[in-house]
Parts: sequence; C-alpha cells; structure tokens
Amino acid sequence: MKFNNKLIINNRLIISAAFVLSVCLFQGQAFAQTAPRMMQANDEKAPALIDPNIKRRDISESDIDTEDFEIGIFGGFIGIEDFESSELIGASISYHINENLFLEARYAQATAGQTSFEKLSGGAPFLTEEERDYTYYNLSLGYNINGETFFTDNLVFNSDFYFTVGAGSTEFGGDERFTVSVGAGYRLLLTDWWALKVDVRDHVFTSDIIGVEKDVHNLALTLGTTFFF
Amino acid sequence: MKLNAYLLLILVTVTALFSSFANADDLVVTIVEPYVDFRTGPASEYPIFHVAEQGEAITILKKKTGWYKAINAKGQSGWVSAEQLGKTIKPSGEQLYVPTGSFEDYTNRTFEFSAFGGILENVAAMSVATAWNMTGNLVAEASYTQALGDFSENKLWAVRLQHHTFPEWKVSPYLTIGAGGINTRPRSNLVQSGDEVRKSDFYEVGAGLRYYFARNMVVKFEYRKIIALTDRDEQERIQEFKLGFSVFF
Repeated sequence: MKFNNKLIINNRLIISAAFVLSVCLFQGQAFAQTAPRMMQANDEKAPALIDPNIKRRDISESDIDTEDFEIGIFGGFIGIEDFESSELIGASISYHINENLFLEARYAQATAGQTSFEKLSGGAPFLTEEERDYTYYNLSLGYNINGETFFTDNLVFNSDFYFTVGAGSTEFGGDERFTVSVGAGYRLLLTDWWALKVDVRDHVFTSDIIGVEKDVHNLALTLGTTFFF
Repeated sequence: MKLNAYLLLILVTVTALFSSFANADDLVVTIVEPYVDFRTGPASEYPIFHVAEQGEAITILKKKTGWYKAINAKGQSGWVSAEQLGKTIKPSGEQLYVPTGSFEDYTNRTFEFSAFGGILENVAAMSVATAWNMTGNLVAEASYTQALGDFSENKLWAVRLQHHTFPEWKVSPYLTIGAGGINTRPRSNLVQSGDEVRKSDFYEVGAGLRYYFARNMVVKFEYRKIIALTDRDEQERIQEFKLGFSVFF
C-alpha cells in the first residue's frame, strides 16, 4: 500500500511538473516570438508619430473611366436565300480603335423556314429541324462618319453613320461556310454610354444546300441597343 | 442555343449596369497652354463650342478613344483631344501623361489583339490572335484560325513565340516558332457516314513584318509553314499567308 501511494504521488508529481514545465516552455516560446516583434513594432512606430510625408491623393491618368468598348444586343429579320425570312437575335461587342475606326464581333441566330419547293410539293424536306438552325459570327472593321442629329433646336444627339466590312462563318444546313459581310448602320448616342443602332448587313457565302453551288446573299435588318464601357 | 442567348443577355445587362455606375475619382488638371478646345463630341469633326483659357482648372470625367470629356467650373462640359490634354498639369505640378496610341506607346504595350485574313493552302482563312509582350523582343502569342473550304472545314489553334529583332523600327521584321493542333472535318455532302473529324498536332515556323500604321493600329503580314503530324505515313505540309491588323493596350 505504501509503495503504491508513493507511486501515485510520484506520478502526480511528474504530471504536475510536466504541466508546469510545458506551460513555462510554451509561454517562453510565445514570449520569445513576440519579444522581437514588439521591438520591431516599436522601431517602426517611433518615427511615425510625426510623419512629414503625408501621401498626396495622387489620381493618375489610369483612373479615368475609359469607354472604348461597346457591348450590345440586337434583333430583327434576316432573309435566308431560298428559305424565307426569319427573326434574328444576336449580340455584339466592339472596340473603338480611334474616333473613326472600330472593330466589331457579332454573333446571331435564326431558324430558317421552308423553301417554296418544300411547301408546294409537300415532299421530303431538304433539311432536318436541327439543320435549320442558322447561326453566324463575324469580325468586322467599321468606319464611323461622325455627326450630330438635330431632332429640334434644343434636342440634339451625337450620332454616326458607319460602314462595315468583315468576315466570319455561317453554320447552316449541317455545314460551316466562310462568310463575307458588308453593311452600313446608324448609331444614335442617347447619352455618352448608351446608344441605339440600326444595321443593314449582307452576308455572302457559297452554298450548295439546294443542289447547285451558288453565292447566296442573306440580308439582315436589325435594331439594337449598345452600352459603352 | 437558347441558353446562349440568355447568357449574352445577362452579360449585356451586367455591363450596362456597370457602365452607368462606374465612376472613378475625378482628376482635376490646370491648363498651361494659351487655351484648350471643348468640342461637342469625341472626334475632330465635332464643332468647338467653348474655349477654356490658360490657368483654368478642368475636371476630367471620362475617355473615349483619343478624346477626354472635361467639365469646367461653370459646368460646361465638352470633349478635349488627348494632344491638348497632354499639355496640362496635375495638382502636383507635373505634366499629365496621356497615351495617344503613338509608336512609343506601341513599343511599351503589354497586350495586343490581332485579326487576319489570308490563304491557307488555297482556302480563305481568318485568324484572331492575342499576344503578350514579354520583353519587347520576345512576344508570346495564342491564335485561332478557321479555314472553311469547299471540301473541308479546318480549325487550327496555336501558341507561338515571336522574336522581334528590331522592335524600335517602324517597319519591323520578326520570326516565329510554335506548336498547335488542327481539326479537319469534311463537308457534309462529301461524307455521308456522319462527322469524320481528323485531329493532328503540328509544329510551325514563320516570319512576319509589322508596320505602325495609324494611332492605336499596326498592320501585319505573316507567313507560316505548318508541319502536321498525321496518322498517315507522310507528314502534311501546309503554308499560310495572311494580312491583318492589330490593336494594342
């Protein structure tokens, strides 16, 4: 019994000693870590009591809000040669290189109708429903003719008339075709950053969907709105 | 397809909101030249409706291409050219730096975006590319090319390194080396058994010439020779000539 008691006391002693030691060690370590930091902080803070170099709020050229990009949506009609005319919706993004030139990327989609032959003969259709999905994208270079539009003496908006020439691709009838697009449009700037646009574009590509290979002209007339950012 | 349209609509709406609320800190500059012209629009064609005088402080609101919208103390706002604004001073007394898209700005560019039209083995091809100016001599570029021919649709992507030996020349030659991939799909009327897309990797070497043409714009002419590593016994050699232009940021 006595021996056992001693052992227990010994055990307790060891545990408590280990505890005290560990606490001391950890605190020591912690102190060792914070001490130089505090000293450092003191070193830094001391001259900061009076700082002669008050930082001027320096606004540079890069802080100016630039509005060279123009993003927008448009909708309208496209006449798909041999396949009726359809509603068209799309989106565009432009980058204005300088006051006259701009670069524009356009993506649009429509669903083609039926040829007169398909309608009159009542026979097998030329294309499947999926092949009737008409999508295109193009990249154009545009030239702005800058001007102003006077609605009344006091109601004046900046506007421009522009021409575009571009190339892209049309996916229709199961194929993708190299497409040249030319057009003209009118942009009415309601504010510096908001505009309304009317566009006429011709999309020309070689197609053999109805048998013979020929150049088709698909004319699109669209109305859109764009935002400068 | 419909999802696409919705995504685009959301993108446009977000941008529209962003563009109307974006408002950076105002920059006030003082005119040191005899005068600064205020125009009704951001182009030289627009009429001058006001002349701000020497010593007057004007606030710069925004920028559109080479034009800055400014407002004076009387509340009149108009568009000032980058050239005239470059001669004003900031509150700190230093001259305002205004990039004019000059050749010097081009040599200091970080990014460049290019569009090309050309001929890839007798087929009309178009390409877009973005480039990162690493050192002035070395430029890293990624490009995508589409060549839609009568027999097949070819899509090529590539990454390449350009070496501009004399970047300080206005007409400057450069060499390129790169690698990429090509996807070829025969026309649907030629192949009835569905899509037979052939994919191969390729290496390319090329040369180009660039010319600083106008403000913010560079014209480029490029040639590249592509060696496609096909599954067949013979490697395919393709040539491309292209002419295009770049804008830079």
